Amino acid sequence: MTGGRVSGGRVSAPRVALGLFLVFLVAAPFVLSEFYVTLMNYIGLAALVTLGLVLLTGVAGLMSFGQQAFVGIGAYTTAVLTTTYALSPWLGLAAGLVLTGLAALGIGAITVRLSGHYLPISTIAWGIALYFVFGNLEILGRYNGLQGVPPVTIAGWTVGSGRNSYVLIWIATLVSLIAARNLLDSRSGRAVRALRFRGTMAESFGVDTARLKLVVFVYAALLAALSGWLYAHFLRFVSPGPFNVNAGIEYLFMAVVGGASSVWGAVVGASVLTMLKEWLKDLLPALFEQSGNYEVIVFGVLMVALLHRTREGLMPAFARLVPVARREAWPAEAAPLARRERPQPGEPLLEVRGAHRQFGGLVAVSHLSFEMKSGEILGLIGPNGAGKSTMFNLVTGVLRADGGEILFRGERIERRAAREIARRGVARTFQHVNLVGAMPVLENVAIGAHLRGRHGTIASVLRLDRAEETVLRAEAARQVERVGLGGQLHDAAGSLPLGQQRLVEIARALAADPVLLLLDEPAAGLRYREKQSLARLLRELRDEGLSILLVEHDMDFVMGLVDRLVVMDFGEKLAEGKPQDVQRNPAVIEAYLGGLE
Amino acid sequence: MNRKLIAAFAAASVLGAGAAHAEITVGVTLGATGPGASLGIHYKNAFQLVPKTLGGEPVKYIILEDGSDPTNAGKNARKLITEDKVDAVMGSNGVPSSIQIAQVAFEAKTPYLCLTPISLPPEKYHWTFVVPQTTELMMSAVAEHMKAHGVKTVGYIGFSDAWGDLVYKAMTQLAPDYGYKVVTDERYARPDTSVTGQVLKILAAKPDVVVVGGSGTGGALPHVALRERGYKGTIYHNHGTVNAEVIKVGGKDVEGAIAPTGPLIVPEELPADFPTKAISLEFTKRYEDTFGAGKRNAFAGYSYDGVLILNAAVPAALKKAKPGTPEFRAALRDALENVKNVVGTHGVYNMTPTDHNGEDARARVLVRVDNGAWHLLK
Amino acid sequence: MTADIVAWLAQDGITNGAIYALLALALLLVFAVTRVIFVPQGEFIAYAALSLALMESGRVPGTVYILLGGGALAAAMEIARAVREHALSRLPRILALYVLLPVVIAAIVWWAVPRKLDQWLQILLVLAMVVPLGPIMYRIAYQPLASASVLVLFIVSMAVHYVLMGLSLVFFGGEGLRSRPFSDAHFKVGMLDVSAQSLWVVFASMVLIGALWLLFERSIYGKALRATAVNRIGARLVGIPANLMGQLSFLLASFIGAVSGILISPITTIYYDTGFIIGLKGFIGAILGGMASYPLAAAGALAVGLLESFSSFWASAYKESIVFTLIIPVLAWLSLRSRHVEEEDE
Repeated sequence: MTGGRVSGGRVSAPRVALGLFLVFLVAAPFVLSEFYVTLMNYIGLAALVTLGLVLLTGVAGLMSFGQQAFVGIGAYTTAVLTTTYALSPWLGLAAGLVLTGLAALGIGAITVRLSGHYLPISTIAWGIALYFVFGNLEILGRYNGLQGVPPVTIAGWTVGSGRNSYVLIWIATLVSLIAARNLLDSRSGRAVRALRFRGTMAESFGVDTARLKLVVFVYAALLAALSGWLYAHFLRFVSPGPFNVNAGIEYLFMAVVGGASSVWGAVVGASVLTMLKEWLKDLLPALFEQSGNYEVIVFGVLMVALLHRTREGLMPAFARLVPVARREAWPAEAAPLARRERPQPGEPLLEVRGAHRQFGGLVAVSHLSFEMKSGEILGLIGPNGAGKSTMFNLVTGVLRADGGEILFRGERIERRAAREIARRGVARTFQHVNLVGAMPVLENVAIGAHLRGRHGTIASVLRLDRAEETVLRAEAARQVERVGLGGQLHDAAGSLPLGQQRLVEIARALAADPVLLLLDEPAAGLRYREKQSLARLLRELRDEGLSILLVEHDMDFVMGLVDRLVVMDFGEKLAEGKPQDVQRNPAVIEAYLGGLE
Repeated sequence: MNRKLIAAFAAASVLGAGAAHAEITVGVTLGATGPGASLGIHYKNAFQLVPKTLGGEPVKYIILEDGSDPTNAGKNARKLITEDKVDAVMGSNGVPSSIQIAQVAFEAKTPYLCLTPISLPPEKYHWTFVVPQTTELMMSAVAEHMKAHGVKTVGYIGFSDAWGDLVYKAMTQLAPDYGYKVVTDERYARPDTSVTGQVLKILAAKPDVVVVGGSGTGGALPHVALRERGYKGTIYHNHGTVNAEVIKVGGKDVEGAIAPTGPLIVPEELPADFPTKAISLEFTKRYEDTFGAGKRNAFAGYSYDGVLILNAAVPAALKKAKPGTPEFRAALRDALENVKNVVGTHGVYNMTPTDHNGEDARARVLVRVDNGAWHLLK
Repeated sequence: MTADIVAWLAQDGITNGAIYALLALALLLVFAVTRVIFVPQGEFIAYAALSLALMESGRVPGTVYILLGGGALAAAMEIARAVREHALSRLPRILALYVLLPVVIAAIVWWAVPRKLDQWLQILLVLAMVVPLGPIMYRIAYQPLASASVLVLFIVSMAVHYVLMGLSLVFFGGEGLRSRPFSDAHFKVGMLDVSAQSLWVVFASMVLIGALWLLFERSIYGKALRATAVNRIGARLVGIPANLMGQLSFLLASFIGAVSGILISPITTIYYDTGFIIGLKGFIGAILGGMASYPLAAAGALAVGLLESFSSFWASAYKESIVFTLIIPVLAWLSLRSRHVEEEDE
């Protein structure tokens, strides 16, 4: 399940599993009986749709019950074109993909921006709406459907029988699986994986999350349409029934049972559910005298029991049986990435003039002004709730200021989106660690370098991004080394202790090659020695010309490190100056140190 | 995991292929669950009453559940044909499911006794024989009755599914010949809790009579709503609606409802010389003895008649080939095309190469709800 | 469209909307407390309506078997846990709650059915059969997954829905049933001819909504539920038992579902699978209300009822298309309006 070179020179276990799977796929039409080949066709058709759902729901976190509608568009388009207009199925495929793509763009433009539970409900809504449209349009044969869809022909070879269809369906499925795997294992893929819960973080590193969500949505819809096209020409008959909302829920079932976080989960889920239903159909009438009627009950009970055992689905359980291979991080000779030109030390860098922000009646930042010069470490301190993190969010564009101006290198940025500010060389860490827990440290850090790459989704699907990818990974690995986590490069970020996760956050910010680095409580959770080395690192970075704005609680850490301090309380600036001066300021002692009691 | 899967697949395929074929095998797929369950249950029940031999040879019925879903129905048909090597396929209770099976039967060259009235392109009928009366045949009884009573305008309300489409199509096709006009095409879904909007629309069009294109108890909802809103005209139903439950649900409101049906719903009241009287009477009695009084319905009769038609065709086919072979299936198809005067519960079947249904006006009667039960309308 | 048609449609929409509103409240409650998108809510409607209709025709509804079986399974799970945790002192309570109570209810039903009691007593019996299914269901299917993601909980909901719908088909059959109306009376209100039954629906919904409001505002359980809904972890910290709250919310949901079923079963035909689409529309109503506020959820549900009623007049074949398509822009608007800094959790 990995690209790139494999360490140790021996073949990795996942590769063996994958190889066996491929051998099975190739052998299947020769060894399996006609019907099991047919079943494999159904599995392939379902796996295609489920794969889209894995990307959409499992990876990007967008729950959809509406995939069956896209399957329907794909199937109906080709059915109409090949029956009523007697055109080639290939034209049907092209038209189906185009039409589905347009429909997905339209629906997606409205719905992927929906937050929380509005999205799943809206997918149910358009799923149901389209079902009734299929059933009522004369041109689509109304509820009776369209008969006599011709088989596909490839250069004179007719894909008529189950075994022929098998070839077509599984080539399509395999290609889609590999494409999806390639996509996830790339610059765009990392961003997609960051979408799930970390939209703010992704935006802060320059990812256009709304656009990316739409891309994933359209991609999933296209997979569904491809499945629909194959469906129409394999079954040769299209009617509305298979595209009702229950079908959409079934696909989601497959994704969850298979394991929605892995592309192979789509195949596992589709296989297990299809086979299970088939076996129940044979088994239950033998157990119960009266045939039928019990399958759905037993099926439901089994599903509940399964989810009680494994919530993550089957694929992670399978994956645990197979030790994961570690890929080599980067070839040592990888060329370093181009670096941003940095301002001269002492140049004005950041200027905050009367920034103001309130939440309802609560004023978080009140007409705050301060300045920061290039090449300095500025500490922003204050008691809990003083508005430090809000100030951070205003500078980085996560929140928008109600009033005042914020200038970065002389340019006003207070109206700019987070990703535009990131583009200008501002990188940050988060107070609440914002890592994709299941992803290795290396890849988490590589998200930081998002803006330093340029290959998009299509390039990554086609693997045209490998050279750039190598360089990005090399850069990420270098930054991980730099924060002292070289040994944990391949560990899942979520498995590290909190203190080290903060270091990963710093490495990620550094991977963006920032001019200004904003650190939100970087020392929290670190032990004494770790703090020492962190302070050393930050000083080094400053000496290299990086400017650092720091929010921190640990006074010892701050006092020894920063060049200047800004003290905040109740959203206002209390004091500003060199650490020693600020320490002696009576107002600060009163408000800040008094507040610690 | 892969190795295990291969083993499982291989084992399963060996098991499936190993079945001996000394007897005739009939594969059945029906939806006794899902949206068509209310029909499918009856279709399936009938297989407990069908003969255990066909043309004197022992027969095995393999009955699979398709959940009223066309994709599943098609999958089942493929399984029955390729895995169980059945000699004929029967099913299912839904138009799209049945069309899908017809497609599979056509590809796999296996005779198919379709248990739902469907219409196919002429070449696709080659392997398919439709047991139930065509909707046009059934609804023409309604049209005749309307003509006799001077009906000029007809309001239509039917299911928003293939059945609703089918009945509507029949009513509009018959309209010019019988001198009426269909003035509304309202639709509702079986689980809808209210049809007030549709009923108001019909009332606004002031039709002489209303035809309901629902099935089973689903026919009661618009009927009751029309009566509640004060509609006085006759309300006609179709053959899908005729059972005892619809009267239970509709109560007093459905009194006077008229519907076409096969003769097996009212065998007791048929004239003594009615061709199907004996067999309809016997089947209805056996069905109600097994599944409870008042459970008689048209659907079980279709399953039963399908088997009777097979029974009539098997001897001729046996002369040409052994069951379980493609030759037998082809011979069976040829024989099915030529069965004559097969008396079933619904009617008398006379197949020809161009008529794969073979029923005539003897396969339909009109019934009316009088005093809480369906009675023959004379 | 004339004024009396508008009035008729409005009356129809309000009657259906009242049911959707009840369901919207139940769904909202369950979601807020347990994060479960409660798909099987609709099954309670079908169970209650079909049980009532069967009892009226003098047959013992299969619901008693579901109650007995579910209770036994829940008891087995509880006992297994008690044994594992060496807390055998819980056994009497477990047996009383999950075994004895269902057996008593079943016994009364068996005794009562042939006697054809008064309709109100039958309704009480139906409630006694259906309402305990809610907490039992929570215990069996959801409690072991209380901390799982919304997606997993949803899939479990779907699986439970399949099981209950399958059981419903086995026990009630594929044909629909309708129960006797509480009263056959009709009132003339202007040009409208209002049936007493639809007044019952609206009246009972209002009473129930009022009662729920009282429960949340006044009772300690209601406050605990509200606290859990607002902040699950916080509620646990102050000693509100999460499982009890889960069961309580399911109890209310099954009660509301059963009452809805009893209310509509005289005005329409109920099938074994009717509940799903009614529940879905209730859910849409809850969403339209923003998934947060009870009065808004009720208003949203009413809007769904009216929209449905009017679109069934304009273009009945496209009714569902119209209802569900019109909801999307509303959802988009609601979503944009309620935009806040993203919830960060994994």
